[in-house]
Formats: sequence, C-alpha cells, structure tokens
Amino acid sequence: MNFTKIGMACALTLGMTATAALAEYPERPINMIIPYGAGGATDISARAIAEALTAAAGTPMVMSNVTGAGGATGSVAVQNAKGDGYTMLFARVGSHTVNPAMKATLPYTLADFRFVTVYEINPVVCAVTPASGINSMDDLIAKAKEGGVSYSSSGVGSLLQLAAVMVLKEFGIEDPLNTTVHIPQKGGGEAATAVLNGTVTFICTNSSALAGFVANGQLKPLLVTTPERLGGFDAPTATELGKPSLEQLVGWTGIAGPASLTDEVAAKWGEWMATAVKDEKFLAVMEKAGSVIDLMSPDEAKAFIDGQYETFRKLVDELGMRIEG
Amino acid sequence: MHDRSIQLQLGIGAVIAAAFLLLVAIPTWVSSPSNVPNIILSPLFWPWVLSGLTGITGLGMIVTALRDPASTEPEASDVDDRSRAWGRLVSVAALMGLTMVLMPRIGMVWTSMLVFAATAFLVRTSHPKTALVSAVLVPLVLYAFFAHVAGVAIPQGDFVRLP
Amino acid sequence: MSFTDNLMLGLSLVANVESFIALGLGVAVGVIAGAIPGMSATMAVALTLPFTFALQPITGILLLLGVYKGGIFGGSIPAILIKTPGTPASSATVLDGYPLAEKGQAGKALGMALWASCTADLISNLALILFAGFLASFALNFGPPEFFTLMLFSLTIIAGVSGDSLLRGALSAMLGLLLATVGLDLIYGTNRFTFGDANLMGGLNFIAVLIGLFAIPEIIAMVWNPRAFDGQKRSMGKSWVTFADYRRCFKSIVRGSFIGVFLGAIPGIGAAPSAFLSYSEARRTSPNKANFGKGELEGVAAAEAGNNGVAGATLIPLLALGIPGDVITAIIIGAFMIHGLQPGPMMFVLNADIIYALFMGLIVSSVFLFFIGTVAIHGFKYVADIPRGVLFPAVLVLCIFGVFAVNNSIFDVGVMFVMGWVGYFMMRYKVPAAPFLIAFILGPLLEDNFRQAMLMSGSSPVILFRGPITWFFWTLTAITVFAIIRAGIKATRRHGPLTTANQE
Repeated sequence: MNFTKIGMACALTLGMTATAALAEYPERPINMIIPYGAGGATDISARAIAEALTAAAGTPMVMSNVTGAGGATGSVAVQNAKGDGYTMLFARVGSHTVNPAMKATLPYTLADFRFVTVYEINPVVCAVTPASGINSMDDLIAKAKEGGVSYSSSGVGSLLQLAAVMVLKEFGIEDPLNTTVHIPQKGGGEAATAVLNGTVTFICTNSSALAGFVANGQLKPLLVTTPERLGGFDAPTATELGKPSLEQLVGWTGIAGPASLTDEVAAKWGEWMATAVKDEKFLAVMEKAGSVIDLMSPDEAKAFIDGQYETFRKLVDELGMRIEG
Repeated sequence: MHDRSIQLQLGIGAVIAAAFLLLVAIPTWVSSPSNVPNIILSPLFWPWVLSGLTGITGLGMIVTALRDPASTEPEASDVDDRSRAWGRLVSVAALMGLTMVLMPRIGMVWTSMLVFAATAFLVRTSHPKTALVSAVLVPLVLYAFFAHVAGVAIPQGDFVRLP
Repeated sequence: MSFTDNLMLGLSLVANVESFIALGLGVAVGVIAGAIPGMSATMAVALTLPFTFALQPITGILLLLGVYKGGIFGGSIPAILIKTPGTPASSATVLDGYPLAEKGQAGKALGMALWASCTADLISNLALILFAGFLASFALNFGPPEFFTLMLFSLTIIAGVSGDSLLRGALSAMLGLLLATVGLDLIYGTNRFTFGDANLMGGLNFIAVLIGLFAIPEIIAMVWNPRAFDGQKRSMGKSWVTFADYRRCFKSIVRGSFIGVFLGAIPGIGAAPSAFLSYSEARRTSPNKANFGKGELEGVAAAEAGNNGVAGATLIPLLALGIPGDVITAIIIGAFMIHGLQPGPMMFVLNADIIYALFMGLIVSSVFLFFIGTVAIHGFKYVADIPRGVLFPAVLVLCIFGVFAVNNSIFDVGVMFVMGWVGYFMMRYKVPAAPFLIAFILGPLLEDNFRQAMLMSGSSPVILFRGPITWFFWTLTAITVFAIIRAGIKATRRHGPLTTANQE
C-alpha cells in the first residue's frame, strides 16, 4: 500500500464516521440549558416538556440550570457551544428580546442563535392590591399623572420592567421614566411580594406568576394582553381598552441552538417538538400555569421574535432606556 | 511571622488596596449611567463607601501595630524546609490552573483522576496504594452519581466519553 | 367547618401508608443529598419535583418537605467532617463543628447537630401551626427600610465571629462586601467589576465562594506542611452526645429556634443569617465565650438550631400569603400549583383539610428526621477515620464535582480555586474567614434594600426611620455597637499592649 491509498482509506473512514454521526443524531444525551433558576416560569415550562421531548427524541434530555445576569450567563454558554445540537437553550422573552433591546453591553445578539421553535406564550397581566383603591387602568393612570406611582420588576432588563413602561406609555404617560418610579427586585417572587407589602403600586408580569394571588384575592388584575379575556382573571383585555398594540406584550419560551446549528439538527427538532407538544401531561401543566401552547416553525419563531425585538427596541430608544455601561 | 508584623503588613495592604480601588479600579471597571438623580443611588456609591472603610480599617491596623512593642522572641518556623514547601504550593497552584485548562478538553472525570493522584503525591500520602486506587474509583463513582442519579451534565471532553 | 372537623379530615388524608413512606423517603433522600457538597437541599428538591407530578397532592408535597428538612440537616454532616458546608446554611456549623471533629469528637458534634436540628424543627413547626396568621401579617410589614435596618443589625454579628482581633474581622468583612459587588448593578443594570465576562455578570456563585473559603485552604495547608498532619490521627468518631450536653445547650437551642422562626417568616432572608445570628447570640451569653470557634459544642447546637428553625417557618409566608421565602420554597410553590392548589389566605378556607394534613405531616417529619439522622450519622462518621492522605484529595475532587453541579459552570470551579488561595492566605495571616462570609451574604441585601428604600422615598433618608420595626432595629444596633466598643476599650485597658503579643 502506498501513501495515497492509506490517505484515501483514512479519508473514507473519516467521511463515513462523519456521515454516520450526522445520520445518528442524537447518539448521546442532549444538554438543555435553562438560563433561569429552579422553580421559575422558564424552569417549570422546560421541565414539563423535558419528558415528552425525551420520549420523542429517544435520547435523554439533561436539564441544566445556568443562572445569572437575567439569563445572560446561560445564553452565553450556548452561544459559545458547538453547533452539533448537543447543547441547546430554553430561550425566554427576558433573555432574547428585552435584554438585547435594552443592554448595549450584552455579550450576545439575536444573530448568535438559531431558533428551532417557540412553543409557549404567556400573556401579561397588570395588577394592584385591593387596598390601593385603584380599580381600573384609568384610576392607575390618573394616579400616575399626579406622581408617586411605582412598579416592581425582577431586575433591570426584565420583561416586567419593559411591560410596565410600555403599558404606561400606551395609556398616555409621555415620560414614564421620570413620572413613575421603577423599583427593581432580585427576582419574580420578590417583585410580586413588593406589590403585596405596599413597596410599589403595581406590577405587570406573566399571568402564571400572579394566578395564585389573584385567585386568593390578594391582588386585583387591571389588564390582560390576550385577545380574549383570560380565565381566572376578571380584567378587561388591552383591545377592549382600545390599546390593541399591547397584544405584542407577551412572554414566551422557545428553543434555540448556537448560530452554527446544522439544518439536519433543526429539522429533527421540528419533528420532536410536533410530537412533544401533544403530550397530555405537558399540556395539563401548561394549562395550569395559564400558558397558551402555540408551536411555531423556525421561520415563524424568527419573525415573531424579531417583531417583538423591534417593538421593544423602538420603545427603548424613544425613551432613552438603553443601558450603555 | 510575628503578630505585629502581620498586623502591619495587613494594614499597609488594606491601605494600598483601598487607594487602588478608589483611584483605578472603580473609575475603570464600575460604570454608572449619566442620568442618576442622586449620588447615593449611583452604582458607584457603595464601592466608594466600602473602599473608604477598607482604608480606615487599614490605617487602624497600622496604628495598633506601631503602638505594640516589637516581640523579641525568635520566630519558630512551621516547616523544616521553606523553599520546598513553597515549591509544593506553586505546584498545587499549577495543578489548579491545569485543571481549568483540561476540564473542558478531556472531561471532568479524567481530570479529577489526575488531580486526585497529584494531590495525594503533594501531601505525601502515607497510603500510596489506597490513594492510587481511590484516584481511579472516586471520580468514577462521583460521575456515576452526578450524571445518572442527579442528572447533571458533567463535562465529557472531546476524547473518551463515558456512558 | 370547625377546627376538629378539619383536624379529622386532615388526619384521614395523612394517616396512610403512602404519606409515611413519602415522608420517610423524602427525609432520607434529603439527608444524603444534603451531605454531598454541591447537591444541597435546593437541588434535591428540584430533582424530586418531577416525581411528585404523578402522586396525590398531599403525598407529593410531603415528599418534597421531607427532602427539604432532611437536606437542611444533611448539610451539617460534611460541614463537621470535612469542613465543606454543603449549604450556605451550615457554614456557621463549620466554625465549631470542624474543630470538634479535629479533636476526635465528630460523633458528639454530629449528634448534637441532629438533636438541635430536631428540636428546632419541632419548635418551628409548632410556630407555623400556632402563629402562621400572625407571623405572616408581620412579615408583610417588612419593606426595604425594615430590611435595611435588620441587615445593618445583622452585620454586628461580625464582631462576634472575629476572634481575637476586631480590626482583622472588619478587614475580612470589607473583603467580603467588596467581592459581593461584582456583577450587574441591581438598580441600573450596569456592570461592576465584570470585565465584560458573562460569567461574572451574575456575580460570584455563593457555594463556590463558600467551599473555596473553607475546604480548599485546609488542603493547601496540608500541601504546605504534610508533616503537621502526620502525627495526629482523628480517632474513630465513637463519642456520642449525652443528655447532659443537650441540657447544657438547651437554652441556646431554644433561642436559636426562635431566631430561626422569626427570620424564616420574613421572605428573602434565608437560613444562613439566622444560623450566624443564633451562633453569635449563643457566644455572647455563654460562660465559655473564649472556647467558641475552637470546638465548643454549644456553638454547633446554636448554629444548627438557627438554620433548622427556619425550615418550618419559611412555610408561613408560603402557605399564608403564597410568597416563596427562598429558592426551595419557590420550587415547593410550583408543586402546589401543578396539583391545582393555590397557597394563600383562601387555601385555609378552601383546602383546610390539606393544610391540616400538612401540619400533621410536618410534626411527624421531625420524628423521622431524628431516626433517619441517627442512622445517617452512624454511617457517615467513619469518614473521620479515613487517612488524610486519601481523604483530602478525595475532598478536593468532590468539591470540583459539587461546585460544578450547582450552576453547571466550569467557571465556578475556577472561582472556588481562587477563593481557596484567598482563604489560605487569610489563614496564614490569621484573618478570620467567618466575617468574610457573613458580609458576602448580607452585603448585597444591605445595599439593595438601602437603594430600594431611597427609590421609594425619592432619596429622603427619613424613610429609614418609618414605623416601630425600623426603630426597634436601630435601637438594637446602637446597643450592640455600644457594647462592642465598650468591650474593646475594656480589653485594651486590662491587657494593654500584651493582648496581641499573647496570641502567638
């Protein structure tokens, strides 16, 4: 045998293993990164779909919480991963539309990820305590114009912050940053507590985070951003109040890989998700959390995310909310 | 080292650290938006306060150290051969650095075996055979537990993957 | 429905084989998971959660509560045996537990930790059952100004754990406070000492800092001088706690339990400050003050009572208000929701039977903890007999795995190594590590609550004096600071310049 032959044999073997590896995806467990902490909305959603996904893919899905910096730490871990489909991310509204729109120093952009799907939408609800004497959005806005209204969020660059600002702006507060006060908290639970104990006036967040408080009569919902009224929340929709553009304001969960993700992997994920979202246990958990299951194709997901990003970006630029440092 | 000189060194160190923070580190690495309404709300405020307090603590230590009379007792060394002890310390630091480099590349399990064996050697273990056997077994058991019971994605590296 | 009706209904829910199996299994899983650094109660609860989906609501929730309680106690096992606190809550246990193990009294320390844990657990559960409503409405009075004053008072604990030199304690605390500023600013979201690295933006991981500061320096110290550890062999941990020991520490245990109940009822504080506060109170009032930090059994008892006292009490805001007090209770709330239950005032009306069933299950869990804990101690204490030349490398490898598992981050392993060197040089320069840790926990809470309060009031400091709670803590802080200064002056007068020289 001469060199060329050996070389060819090697190349052939390598080529074969390479194609074999591709054809066999997934040949080992897939590491799914959840960029938020255990017990949060993203975590519950991710763990609910994990079992159905494992069944659909025929390989274990290992759930890893990588928390920190409003989802940025976990997102970066996937941004830097190989595009072989063995490291995927549960992307969330906070980490992938609000953060990129608000933070100039974020170490990633939307272009660093390839979305395979968005599968869950959570409407946003704005609420106050019954003790505040506020009964409608009009009351809240009237009070905000007088001054002294504040709202809580789970941190700078969270959906909660942007949602409150966007709602105030839509309802005619010209400069929400200076007429009202934003009091950020360490997390979603703390943000809800801040309304309950009177630290702030109102909160706008995902319906799932408030369902318990509303059912117990501890909080009073003023507005929901779904097209139709939401079960369990006795509040008008944004459209009923004449602000249909607020329907853009929703939370969502999707799955993304790094930008280098191959087409084969993306196609596989499409198949798996189509099966997984039909799982009854998953549907039951999501329904209890007040989420709407809406499986999007990669293109739909990209259009949806880009659309929301543009809306948020416009608002952020208009009000000068962008964080440069 | 005498307690007095420790106190003095710590005090001087704290003052230098405080000065470095106030003059270099905080202006360079802490950013603050331009529209902060009040200085006490600025992200810079708390680091400033802390640096100031560190400086004051350092000065306090220098003063107490200088007020103490110098001890005349000869210094008792805790190790026979200081240069070899320092050598071992440098080795353990290098080992830690190497661990960080190797972990993502060859995987956590194989790196841990190396770390176990090297540490056992550095502490001059009295049970070399047990240590060597454990060096192989402990990382494997930990891997089995964390990966398969706790469901943690232990880094596997690019070469030999474990099931 | 009357109280007895609810009680009977609850009893019928809880008095079945499944509930008891769930509780026992939960406690056992929790103790084992808590004993593995990096696993911690939080992770164990998160991992157990999916298994509860298929169970009856009450069985599932009892399983989770069992894991939670077991995990909090389990954390004390590695804290005492290998100086590696599995959870932040057990870091105060290290201070006296590890020196006791060094003296060959690992069994005694572990036994006391268990007895104190069970007592505190029981007191905490009773407080939950009897005063849930009262404590919950009290907890709702805690806004940022109240938190700020509470944290300010808690920082005075540092004086109690500084050892011989208050100044070195203060230096250590400053270092902790400064390191805690790393990350994104809470109010403006700007970078502080992050150098553009996404791993630093989330701040330094607490467990990584903790393990780096306590466990790694021991290993480095052994590398520096292997001989020093040659001669001393830790005897079999055969010693066991006696009833006389328990009676001696009983006052501290009860005090610690109440501190735990009080701090646990307020969401967002967690078990670590409570353990430290209980420890420092025990030290302050003890006749053996000087022995604290050198292997005082009462220190272990107080620390464990302080952190277990929190366990039952965190369920107060959870059940009465639907507010999670920490990460673990946040996961447990998730479990309630998945079973269609919504914790909050209405739950006491709509699902009173479940509430009472939970109460009874909790009381039983304290008993389970006692028996399972005893078995676990007898299993684990032989760790003390492993020769150090094998044990220390094993601890190092265990720490690498454990710290990685907390946040699935290799970066955190690096943080642990770096903190190990910081801890080692602090040890060589005789700077105490405990103040660093307390400051690292409390610092961000102090700063955040201060700035939140300033945002609320439009930068007027008057808000820091609103209401009786703030005044209460201001007064406590003033008294404590006064006492510290007086003690400092007395010490200087009595010993004069000799104090520091005597330390050598």
